[in-house]
Amino acid sequence: MISSFSKVDEYGFERPDDFDYKAYEAFMSRYMVILTRRSMRWNSILSQQSLPDGGTMKRFVRKGVPAQFRGKVWMMTSGANFLKSRQPNLYQDLISDTSHQNWDEIIQNDLNRTYPDNIYFVPSSDGKLNSLYNILRASARHNTSVGYCQGLNYVAGLLLIATKDEEQSFWLLTVLIRNILPSYYSSNMQGLITDIAVLGELVRSKSSKLDRLLKDLHLPWPILVTKWFICLYAEVLPVETVLRVWDCMFNEGSKIIFRVALTLIKLNETELLRCSDFGDMAELFKQITRSSSVLDCHQFMEAMFKLPGSLPSSKIDSLRIRFRQVNVDR
Amino acid sequence: MANRGNQAGTATAAAGGAAQRPNGATQGKICQFKLVLLGESAVGKSSLVLRFVKGQFHEYQESTIGAAFLTQTVCLDDTTVKFEIWDTAGQERYHSLAPMYYRGAQAAIVVYDITNQDTFGRAKVWVKELQRQASPNIVIALAGNKADLAAKRAVEFDEAKGYAEENGLLFMETSAKTAMNVNDIFLAIAKKLPKNDGAGGVGGSSGQGRRLDRAEDGNKPASSCCK
Repeated sequence: MISSFSKVDEYGFERPDDFDYKAYEAFMSRYMVILTRRSMRWNSILSQQSLPDGGTMKRFVRKGVPAQFRGKVWMMTSGANFLKSRQPNLYQDLISDTSHQNWDEIIQNDLNRTYPDNIYFVPSSDGKLNSLYNILRASARHNTSVGYCQGLNYVAGLLLIATKDEEQSFWLLTVLIRNILPSYYSSNMQGLITDIAVLGELVRSKSSKLDRLLKDLHLPWPILVTKWFICLYAEVLPVETVLRVWDCMFNEGSKIIFRVALTLIKLNETELLRCSDFGDMAELFKQITRSSSVLDCHQFMEAMFKLPGSLPSSKIDSLRIRFRQVNVDR
Repeated sequence: MANRGNQAGTATAAAGGAAQRPNGATQGKICQFKLVLLGESAVGKSSLVLRFVKGQFHEYQESTIGAAFLTQTVCLDDTTVKFEIWDTAGQERYHSLAPMYYRGAQAAIVVYDITNQDTFGRAKVWVKELQRQASPNIVIALAGNKADLAAKRAVEFDEAKGYAEENGLLFMETSAKTAMNVNDIFLAIAKKLPKNDGAGGVGGSSGQGRRLDRAEDGNKPASSCCK
């Protein structure tokens, strides 16, 4: 069909062959209006002397941070600015450190395997690959409990695409690893394993039928959702949707990751419950991240704060303690 | 961004190109087997699967996070064998998740890169772990991938073959890039898997493929290759 949309999206990603241009066109005609209005509103709050209070900020962020302000706003809301202010020269020092570490080859190995379908990451181009290498290498040196974990390449790559700023991307990656996420990327991935168990428990309490079905099909949660957590939905959901999720994650913390998962499951619950086969279920968990309901990021974000119901941090914290203990005991 | 389409899953009739095409034989049973790919990062696990399932090759294959799930069907005489394939992440720290994928698997392909001796060492560790902890009847194949880079060979064919024989593994050198031995290794596994009538027959269900009735599978083409 004829479409006014290019084969490459505004972030440099090639659209897949089966991309639904029609649904996207319908969505964009609505979304452009919203984007324009949000842009004006953000312009006005960012030009004021002081930032709005937490409640106003949360409301603003949930409605979406305009692309041109993302780097700046993420740096403010996540605490990355604060980290940077304590070590203003750190990034420059790290990238000028020429000493060799084992991580360097492993990172190098993954560079050409990061978004090869994005025009800025085309292998052996002079796009953003060198910046990506610098960020990951600096992170491995600074965040020594993690070093480098596969998956960080996708997170750092998308940070770079969104902020267009190498140093900001480093600090945002660092604040994720150090403050926002509980050790997802450490060598034993304890935080990841715990959080996936927490998600399993949240699903059990909200949809016991699905929980039972997955058990009957011998499908443990990590098989279905490891990539969701590790990549923070980069390389999983459509890029605009991921960025809207990240707007909230940098402001409200890691519980947002659960909200996304619960919303995906809730939106597709009827269909999921119809699965009676291991393979079909595994396939469906892949498909639900590409449906038209996630492509419309604005609608998806609205659903995200409605469908899963209340999800206080205190509840997540106590579940994390409970399941961390279970893992340790096992 | 998420969907380059290369991990989209079920193969279509046109794509696979796998397997023998026995003339017109559509009768017979369908067996379903779980197969897992293991091996060091960047040895070509995803590329082998992509070649087998879609007949494609990307010089720069995205790194796999967690695992990717794909299916492909091959025909053997009167039996249709459907592989449910788990292609896993290679980095050592994902190791603790691996048992979830090989538990209950009837077959495994342990992959190394013939140009990198370390990856062969890592493959041996995987084989040992499978022999100890996977289903006792699991069929294990060893694949020395990147055979097209023989000029940079670091692992001798005979060394790997000798090791495979000692350990009762199927063995082939493969190239996802040129397609050399890719379908063959999956076919060799399909041949070796038990295809007794009825699920969970002698020897318990652990090493046994699930037998499907045609009716149960009726909502999709029974096979990509039986016509």
